[in-house]
Amino acid sequence: MPKPFILHMLTTAKNLSPFDVNMAVDAGWVSATPYINVEPSEVRGLVQDAIFSRSPKGLQNTGIFIGGRETKQAMDMLKIAKNSMVPPFEVSVFADPSGAFTTAAGMVAAVENELKTKFDTNLTGKNILALGGTGPVGQVAAVLAAQAGANVRIIGRQLEKAQRIADMCNSEFGEGKTNITAGADADKADYMANVDVIFATGAAGIELLSAELVASAPQLKVAADVNAVPPAGVAGLDAFDNGKAIAGSKSGAVGVGALAIGNVKYQVQSALLKLMITTEKPVYLHFEHAFEAARNYIQSAK
Amino acid sequence: MAKKSILHMFDPTSNNSPFDINMALDCDFDVLMPYANVKLDSMHRLTQDTIFSRGPSGVKRTGIFIGGRDMALAIDMLNVAKQSMVPPFEVSVFADPSGAFTTAAALVACVEKELKTHHNKKLSDCKALVFGGTGPVGISTGVIASLAGADTVLIDHLSADTADGIAKEYNRRFGSTLSGDSATFDEDKIALIKDADIIFCTAKAGVQILNANVLSTAQQLKVVGDVNAVPPAGIEGVQLQDSGAPLSQASSSKNTVSVGALAVGNIKYKVQHALLLSMLAGDKPVYIDFRAAYEKAKELLDI
Repeated sequence: MPKPFILHMLTTAKNLSPFDVNMAVDAGWVSATPYINVEPSEVRGLVQDAIFSRSPKGLQNTGIFIGGRETKQAMDMLKIAKNSMVPPFEVSVFADPSGAFTTAAGMVAAVENELKTKFDTNLTGKNILALGGTGPVGQVAAVLAAQAGANVRIIGRQLEKAQRIADMCNSEFGEGKTNITAGADADKADYMANVDVIFATGAAGIELLSAELVASAPQLKVAADVNAVPPAGVAGLDAFDNGKAIAGSKSGAVGVGALAIGNVKYQVQSALLKLMITTEKPVYLHFEHAFEAARNYIQSAK
Repeated sequence: MAKKSILHMFDPTSNNSPFDINMALDCDFDVLMPYANVKLDSMHRLTQDTIFSRGPSGVKRTGIFIGGRDMALAIDMLNVAKQSMVPPFEVSVFADPSGAFTTAAALVACVEKELKTHHNKKLSDCKALVFGGTGPVGISTGVIASLAGADTVLIDHLSADTADGIAKEYNRRFGSTLSGDSATFDEDKIALIKDADIIFCTAKAGVQILNANVLSTAQQLKVVGDVNAVPPAGIEGVQLQDSGAPLSQASSSKNTVSVGALAVGNIKYKVQHALLLSMLAGDKPVYIDFRAAYEKAKELLDI
């Protein structure tokens, strides 16, 4: 009889996200076991306990999920987990802290799709503002877009913090190949002159871009907003929008709302959780794999 | 319809061990429920909440597993659980903190088997050293070996006082006759292993404790057992799959053989598996600690 599918779910927070638990069980994992308040220094011990209690065959039905809130910490934990494997005692690991990796992947892939279908172009060379971009989703979206060739500026209320986050994204995630810059929220009107794409990834229920600013952007093409709680992060953009023209945009920009992004995010997270089950060789999944899965999903949904 | 089987997993640390989760689910428990940060004084209440919610037939489909990192605490928790039963409302309880009881039981039994096969000796004829002897697996190994009659020394990598204090504490509790010592540098290890018959290595994974140079000075070393599965081996020359393979590094001793981590792990796995299955198998509840684990390991190895 095959071994039951067990997903060991590690988080640095004091509880798992029920979102991730539901997703895991719906993807086919039979048991989703929580490990809470996990310090990065504990990852090695937990991983080795997980790998040495099943045969290599049984380990194909075993996986590790890394949650938490911080992107860099989750990536560090993923690296530690990978380095703790003792082949052939090894299992797949998937990091998605606060769902940020899959959410950002869904958003950037949806934006890329709008650029292609509505404007016959791609992310290369586009000027992108990541508003409220210092959080986990903003960080990862900035990295993914920058890796695809865009000029991304992370906008925060405090310039110093935005700069620190931009530097961290370049050094930790961009492998030195990205050049993400920073800007202050107070100066965002100045950046409207040449902005092509807006990512709104701030806190729920806060308007990051007013109707005036939307109207003032002469070459804005796509705005994406992960905020599902009114008011919208971008004025005139509804949570259900999926490529609809933004009212008040003089450049004919289209919007991608939270529910459209959420749908791709859901499909991506589900696909990666299933990949962990079906793969022969263990996989170590993070935002780059999420982005690939998001692009595939959007292609296949056409 | 038969009730689902439930294993309540009480752990005094902040998380259960993924090892035990895998094992329990592979033993066909339908539902695993982790409880973290469980204190000794909560055990009575938790046990009674466990037994009074399913009826006398339901309790036969229910078990309690006790984890953690501390052998004495696990035994205390097991004892409180046992005392909290109200027959016929009673369930089986299995204590195995950090897998230490089953790992130690398998280690001692595997070494005992090679001792008999290759040297025709018993544990009671031998002096045994436990390197990494102050951790959960080391202490359990020491207690089991000592109770089986070996003259056993727990060795700490830094402090003889620590090792001696632990030896005394466990002697008091379990009637063993352990002593304690320390070995930090190669010259300390050389002095200790001179007249050792058996070496158990239960130190931290991925750290070499005894190199070939040190091993070559042992005069009557018969069997070594190493539970470290992460290279390098704790004892130089020991291979993961070794099960009575010659250890040429012990060049001054005759016919030294070794037992590697996967050989021990294989028996440990079978012991834990059999004991988990036994929790729901019988009509009467069972209470399982390192003693039952050692008996099961010997049975599996036909000793």
